[in-house]
Amino acid sequence: MRDVTIIYEGLDRVDGSARFGFGSTKSLSSVSGPIEVRPTLENPAQATLDIQIRPLAAIAGTDSKALATILKSIFAPSLFLSHHPRTLIQIVGQALCGTDSGSGLGSVGRGWNASLTASLVNATTAAFVNAGSVPMKGVVCAVSVGRLQSEDARATLILDPEEAELSRLAGSGCFAFLFSAVLPASPLSSADVPPCSLLWTNYTTAAPFDVAELSSARELAEKGARQVWQKMKESVAWLENSSASSVKVKVKVKTEDEEPAGGMDVDVDDEKVEI
Amino acid sequence: MSLVLPGEQVPAQHVNLKLGPGLLQLSTVNGQAAIVSTRAGEVKHSANGKKWWIEGNSRRYVPAPQESVIGVVVARSGENWRVDIGSAHMATLDGLAFEGATKRNRPNLKVGSLLYARVSLAHKDMEPELECFDAQTRKAEGFGELKGGFLVSCSLKMCRLLLDPQHFLFPLLGSRFPLETAVGINGRVWINCKEPRQTIAVARCIEAVDPDGGGLDEIALKKFFGTLDV
Repeated sequence: MRDVTIIYEGLDRVDGSARFGFGSTKSLSSVSGPIEVRPTLENPAQATLDIQIRPLAAIAGTDSKALATILKSIFAPSLFLSHHPRTLIQIVGQALCGTDSGSGLGSVGRGWNASLTASLVNATTAAFVNAGSVPMKGVVCAVSVGRLQSEDARATLILDPEEAELSRLAGSGCFAFLFSAVLPASPLSSADVPPCSLLWTNYTTAAPFDVAELSSARELAEKGARQVWQKMKESVAWLENSSASSVKVKVKVKTEDEEPAGGMDVDVDDEKVEI
Repeated sequence: MSLVLPGEQVPAQHVNLKLGPGLLQLSTVNGQAAIVSTRAGEVKHSANGKKWWIEGNSRRYVPAPQESVIGVVVARSGENWRVDIGSAHMATLDGLAFEGATKRNRPNLKVGSLLYARVSLAHKDMEPELECFDAQTRKAEGFGELKGGFLVSCSLKMCRLLLDPQHFLFPLLGSRFPLETAVGINGRVWINCKEPRQTIAVARCIEAVDPDGGGLDEIALKKFFGTLDV
């Protein structure tokens, strides 16, 4: 897998933003929410997800709309939308690279390749983590898997194909996994990474493939997604160096609590408890 | 000091466990209950392990009851005022929700005035409601209209740091020149100083110490303050 870069942008006027890159395949995503919603989009039971995708150049075309629908189907099950009814969660995603294969350039090119789609999904996850205002069931990590052209019947699968390799691929697809502690543990799961389950894939090949190939592609993608999860966990270290060293948890004894006044208990004042 | 991503399990256990912001009890596939984090941040708990919560940062305010917020009056609807507190919905403030207000003797608010109010009702299905008096004593206790001054936006974690009496920023600034502040937990700080340059200096210091835009500690801030011409 190529080097993963995660940068929390800190864009103005949005609640969370992040840039994610597999090597040189990068995308940027921003999240705002929960914010005010137009009455036409209002849902009385849950928050509305409004997703807009923009290519690097040219205007958004059919493939951007298709990607927006894909992202909606990926993120709707991974967020607690019912916690904020009648609100809007707005996601804007953008490709940061136009590649040789023409992807990232709107409908003019050949659409978004699997790596770019995966980087967009990961950038959106990182933007949600940065925003912190929308409750999440888990973290969605995506990777792309490619299948090399070969004469014999068995296909060679590679994880996260590079831009230069894209022309030699006979098929590729993006696999998006949800990592959450409430999911059942699989035989591959380890102690530090929560269990995952496949949310979405668009694995497509020129020649027909069978179930065995799909499941081995899925296993390969799961290993890659785990690495992406660990990179995201490391990137959250910015939460540590936030003047936390100079502020300790408030030592204030509340009178309505059962602890006696002379105790050394550390209680938190209600003001600091933010829902 | 353990950082968690959303969806990770948190080892919170107590007989009378109280879960704070960022934690939810969900049931796993084999029927057991697990405490899972719903946002990224540090896992914190009280000394006796009874209260657990996730300490993270965000910019969007989600209202919760009994929190002190700074709001901007945007409209009048009959007897009530519609106030913008930075949440998804506008808040409602009753025209009589002030200390000593009667039908004849009402505070004279205008569209665009700033208020320091307390969230009295915050439910996910309803619009939040505000009150400008303390819940127990029914007296103003600092709530009400904020006249003059300047409003600064910051992240929610910065507001919580500023509300901590042990934080270094306001005592440091207060030792240089007199200033009056009101901190709303919805990411807004109201500053009132005699001179505009002092107000600008305070606004820049708040931005500099904000974990989102600088994250300076005490020593670095003192150096930064020295470069400001005040």
